[in-house]
Amino acid sequence: MTKRERSLEELYRDDPERADALLYNRKTGTSRRGFLGGTGVAAMGALVGGSIPFAQNMPVGLIPAAMAQTPAPAAPEKKGPTYLNFPGKDKGLVVIGDRPLVAETPEHLLDDDTTPTSKFFIRQNGNPPEAAGNPDSWKLTIDGEVNKPVEITLGQLKKNFKPQTLRMVLECGGNGRSFFSPPTSGNQWTNGGAGCAEWTGISLSNVLRMAGVKPSGIYTANYGADTHLSGDAKRLTLSRGVRMAKAMEPQSMLVWGMNGKPLENVHGGPLRLIIPGWPGSASHKWITKITIRDKEHDGPGMTGTSYRLPIRPMIPGTKADPKNFRILESMPVRSIITSPANGNKLAAGTRELKLRGAAWAGDLTVRQVDVSIDYGQTWIRTNLSQPKNRFDWQRWTANIKVPSDGYYEIWSRATDQNGKAQPHISANWNPSGYGSNPFHRIAVLIG
Amino acid sequence: MHMIGRAALAVRRLFPALVLVLALSGGFVFAQAQQEQFTPQTEDPETFPEGDGRDDTFYTCSACHAFKLVASQGFSRERWDETIDLMVDRHGMAKPEAKDREIILNYLAKAFPPKASPRGFQNPFLKQ
Ligand code: HEC
Repeated sequence: MTKRERSLEELYRDDPERADALLYNRKTGTSRRGFLGGTGVAAMGALVGGSIPFAQNMPVGLIPAAMAQTPAPAAPEKKGPTYLNFPGKDKGLVVIGDRPLVAETPEHLLDDDTTPTSKFFIRQNGNPPEAAGNPDSWKLTIDGEVNKPVEITLGQLKKNFKPQTLRMVLECGGNGRSFFSPPTSGNQWTNGGAGCAEWTGISLSNVLRMAGVKPSGIYTANYGADTHLSGDAKRLTLSRGVRMAKAMEPQSMLVWGMNGKPLENVHGGPLRLIIPGWPGSASHKWITKITIRDKEHDGPGMTGTSYRLPIRPMIPGTKADPKNFRILESMPVRSIITSPANGNKLAAGTRELKLRGAAWAGDLTVRQVDVSIDYGQTWIRTNLSQPKNRFDWQRWTANIKVPSDGYYEIWSRATDQNGKAQPHISANWNPSGYGSNPFHRIAVLIG
Repeated sequence: MHMIGRAALAVRRLFPALVLVLALSGGFVFAQAQQEQFTPQTEDPETFPEGDGRDDTFYTCSACHAFKLVASQGFSRERWDETIDLMVDRHGMAKPEAKDREIILNYLAKAFPPKASPRGFQNPFLKQ
């Protein structure tokens, strides 16, 4: 008998009605039987892995069998990172959350020019749909403010339009969140909610033109096939969108291929959006429908403080006024050191450090990357590559002299084409932790 | 265990279809789940900081997502209060009754007070 089973039973044994009320907001009805409120049934259904028919007749205090049969015992809460164990994924990815699954790529695993799929970060917002049995029959609908709504299959997209492949950064909107002080809510990303892959598909503008966006159509509303964590089928996981100008950029794509292979389910396959340079949530996974709207979209993830930044800077840690927030569009400039890895020990007498890294800047390009080994007192310019295409990241290298053995911190700082550099600490604090892009900081020990 | 056994028996008499679903959900429904799907680590309330209301909080706040998402944050009582509102307004959590809300809030504020994120920069040479 696992511990969880016992605890759950204890909770029910002590006071089943209270347990139900707490877990599912289930109240005992007029009859002796209980009833489940809307979310309650769905939540319980999600836990047992299916819907529960006749839920309204389920007696209060009954634990669904599937919940009572917990498959694996809990591991004791341990310090340090939890590494991902997932078919096809590098064992070095770090699990930030496992329900929903969120895993980041430690900076030193972003050392490839093109991030292999095995090392690409994972961000699920809900329960992913089952892998499509017949990907080519996947359907996409374009409706709303259009002259001719379109319903098109993935097979037709592949046949009717000329595909393109671009190497572009995809970055979670909350990347860097863990560097905020005081801490902000949400997944505690370091810099690893980003990767740069070869995406194959077509410009979204192709299908938007096919549908004929009316002059009144100014914003997209994106919908996907994943389901809300509560299991409530009527609730959307996330539905974000972008301004029409962004949607019409040639690099805003409907994507079915990643690094030369069919797009995997875990990354939103068979079909997803890639809206490069903007928060990853705009790049909807398992895309099924894009509704063109005549106003800014207001789906889950568009309002409040989600994917938004304060207009007037607020006192860190205080209550936010949602009226003081604007949508986060282009991601801020960021650089990472991909070699050496944080915590590397180098042989005594080493006097030169060979550094490698990457930098990107949302919609913009990176003008320069500088590194420092003396806590920012002096900076050294690195050799920076040009992007292959717009929204590609830029790789950089530097060979740096070190005066002695000892403990060194290496900091990297990128500057975008407009002259904006990464700050020393996370700036413009906001409760949901967006826009955090301080210098990357690692430490090495020589000798 | 006994209570559950009895309740299940009563259900079996009254609602055979429900029992079928419950019986199957352990094996059949899970077996159908695709291979690719990730199996989350089972969580146990006892692995989280002790305190009054821990189990109630654990079960309330792990119905949709892992409790780890809660435990990895560190907030003032006011911000935990806001978080509960967010779960109700934005994510469809059942609104807890005042008495339960108090229990949950007391636990959250005590067990997960403001702290530096455990995931920011950490000196790699100071690990035990
Ligand atoms: C009805 C389902 C549900 C319940 C019950 C629930 N949550 Fe959530 N919670 C969510 C969803 C959905 C998210 C967003 C998850 C994501 O985006 O990965 C979330 C996210 C969070 C976050 C991260 C902040 C953010 O904005 O993403 C925190 C903190 C949190 N929940 C705390 C709690 C606490 C505390 C409780 C118990 C009082 C609770 N949750 C109960 C659905 C729920």
